[in-house]
Amino acid sequence: MRSPLLYTPIANDKRRAFIAAAAALAAAAFAAHSAEKPDAGAQWWPPGAGRTLPASTSYDNEHGQLGILNTAGAIDTRGHPFFEPIGTNGRACVTCHQPADAMSLAVDSIRARWEETGGRDPLFAAVDGQNCPHLPSDARASHSLLLDRGLIRVFLPWPPQRRDGSAIEPEFTLEVVRDPTGCNTHAEHGLTSPRPMVSVYRRPRPVANLKYVTAAEFGVGPFSLKDAQPAARDPATRKLVNMNMMADAREPTLTTQAVSAALTHLAMPAAPAAAVLERIVSFESQVYAAQSWHAQAGDLTAPGGPPALGPAALAAGRTSVLGNNTTAYVFPIGDVWRSLPRTGDAPHDAESAFRESVARGHDVFFLRTFWIKDAMHLNSVGLGNPVKRTCSTCHGMHMTGMDTANGWMDIGTTNLPWATETPVSPWAEKQPEMPLFKITCDKADAPHPFLGRVIYTQDPGRALITGRCNDVGTIVMQQFRGLAARAPYFSNGSARTLRELIDFYDRRFNIQYSDDEKQDLGNFLSTL
Amino acid sequence: MHTLGSLFAVALTCAAAAGAAEKPAATQRNFVSCPIVRDTATVPCWLAEHDGELYYLGIQTDVSADFHPPFLGHRVLVEGALKDAPRICGGLVLEPVKVSPLAELDGTCNTILPAEDRYTVPFAPRPPGPSGGRLAFDPAPGAGPRTAPPPLEGPQEFVLYYDFDMLVGGRHSAVLSRIYDYASKQGAPHIVVTAYRGATLLSDGTLLVERDDLPQLRAREVAKLLQGAGLAPSAMLIDFVNELPTADGDGDWQARRAVVRVEP
Repeated sequence: MRSPLLYTPIANDKRRAFIAAAAALAAAAFAAHSAEKPDAGAQWWPPGAGRTLPASTSYDNEHGQLGILNTAGAIDTRGHPFFEPIGTNGRACVTCHQPADAMSLAVDSIRARWEETGGRDPLFAAVDGQNCPHLPSDARASHSLLLDRGLIRVFLPWPPQRRDGSAIEPEFTLEVVRDPTGCNTHAEHGLTSPRPMVSVYRRPRPVANLKYVTAAEFGVGPFSLKDAQPAARDPATRKLVNMNMMADAREPTLTTQAVSAALTHLAMPAAPAAAVLERIVSFESQVYAAQSWHAQAGDLTAPGGPPALGPAALAAGRTSVLGNNTTAYVFPIGDVWRSLPRTGDAPHDAESAFRESVARGHDVFFLRTFWIKDAMHLNSVGLGNPVKRTCSTCHGMHMTGMDTANGWMDIGTTNLPWATETPVSPWAEKQPEMPLFKITCDKADAPHPFLGRVIYTQDPGRALITGRCNDVGTIVMQQFRGLAARAPYFSNGSARTLRELIDFYDRRFNIQYSDDEKQDLGNFLSTL
Repeated sequence: MHTLGSLFAVALTCAAAAGAAEKPAATQRNFVSCPIVRDTATVPCWLAEHDGELYYLGIQTDVSADFHPPFLGHRVLVEGALKDAPRICGGLVLEPVKVSPLAELDGTCNTILPAEDRYTVPFAPRPPGPSGGRLAFDPAPGAGPRTAPPPLEGPQEFVLYYDFDMLVGGRHSAVLSRIYDYASKQGAPHIVVTAYRGATLLSDGTLLVERDDLPQLRAREVAKLLQGAGLAPSAMLIDFVNELPTADGDGDWQARRAVVRVEP
């Protein structure tokens, strides 16, 4: 049920005041939690559960608890299109955007669902819950990328198409080098099928804190700052959008994304009605997710604590703010945890020590410099290659750590030589999991400035939308909130833990983090 | 090859040989070499070596700077004037200077020199990490309101300058947006895109010439981008000039351009 307040045409400043008040109330509710671990909600939301989603609730995870805040108040999910199986395969939006998993989908939840249902949960639908639809649905191996890395199959037309369906002439050719799922070479589903498709495998993104993800008041203009290509617009209003949604920025708005997801993931025969879309988008726009309690740091939302933590802080925060500065900060955590007294009480002192580690981890994120090199759409935008900067250079959006606009970059998560993959050898029992494509850029165009004319990639990323050589392997960066609830990380699920995520960066950019720095940074990330 | 459809009336000016002086003026330093990064206690500085001498090109700041550092992994075309000033980061100062990373990769350009106490950049407007709240070359707080430029009226020309042998890149988004904004306000103006290629007279007397298909590619790309952004002019004409300009080694970079004329 929606709150009538949010559907009354009130002035924007009044709406902001209401949201701030709701956030304050929720903050008070969270603050009322003692250092004791609060009760958690039931973990899994099956489609059509018919439960009420409270205004604020918590869910257990490995590091503590995630808080979910719904600024519109409690929702009776009966009949709500986000929670009901509105397509033909039994799935709902909530299938892949679980409240307990920060409105994304943790691989632990996926495995538990497989065990509990014998693989019959709609999550494992053949269309994209399998490595390829032609595989036998009852075999675990058919779902290995979902079960092992949390990946959903994303199938896109090749060559790329504009929104009007016309073909884009790509600047490169695409060959399948390795096809462990069998999908890209399949006669019905592959690149040489009658309707040529590319299958790549990506993590579902969090459907929370979306006012930040969709805000377009900073760095958004008619032409992208990254490459001067025309920026996308809302097809309904013609307003510019920030292109920060989805790994490849292919959908401009929450509404168009909902239509696309309904037609593919939910197997709806036709686009949902406008009223249905409005309810989905309205819910998505009012839900906030962040870690609220930490097994070692205690209550993250207590009064006087770090101001960036917890979902209420997100609900109250400002959007379209560049935080890579000492006036706004990406994650303003203040100094309260920087130096804490010891009392001799072991649990208290352990909590204090952990909180100090979190503060140090913030500084590793914000202030620790390293050479960022060969990162397309970062080094190429005028900063030089390499550029001596910090994590917050790219992850600069206040409160989320996303890019403020047009956030696609290539840091090597999917492009060789940096992409993570099982090494092949005569002694290896495990085989490579991800597809591998060979991209050959047109000789008539300038080569990719950092990778040349021949690029090997597991996922061409935004290049599958634009057809541009320079976009190969570029992926829209994700928000940093609720990380503890939604492992694994990166668009291809290649980092199983926060430590593996940190290790990837350390390896990729030769940062030479000490073990202490890695520990502090991981602790910090686990509180977001 | 990009095609733009029937909207475009294409004009072609035949290529001709460039006139060129024998060598640039003695104060010019135009050369192609590997860029070099020197770390400092704050931001790194960028250098390049030519004929046994080290030259200072600029420092790392941010996207608000005129100087965009080049790329390791590529050779760079340096077009600069020797400035009578103390060395910076060990290099003779070139100012003004234009740097163009060349398109092809060159793995031999990979030198990062460590920080040394004797090399400092106290004039750096921002540190290598988070800023103090504004970009390096934005006005300081309290500097007073910016003087707004007079509103544009009537036919206007906008110029895109290019790196050597290159097409549009991210830094062109600003001028393209200005064109878009002005043209949008005019309703359905006539737009004429005229693109050129350049040649640079290097310090050793060599003439470095851009690809001969660049003027056409540049003109078509700019027109396509403006249309792709949603401009609907009454006419979009493109022209491209293959004739090479006279290169004397002083400001040769200004020939690498596209001119967009918007006529209400």
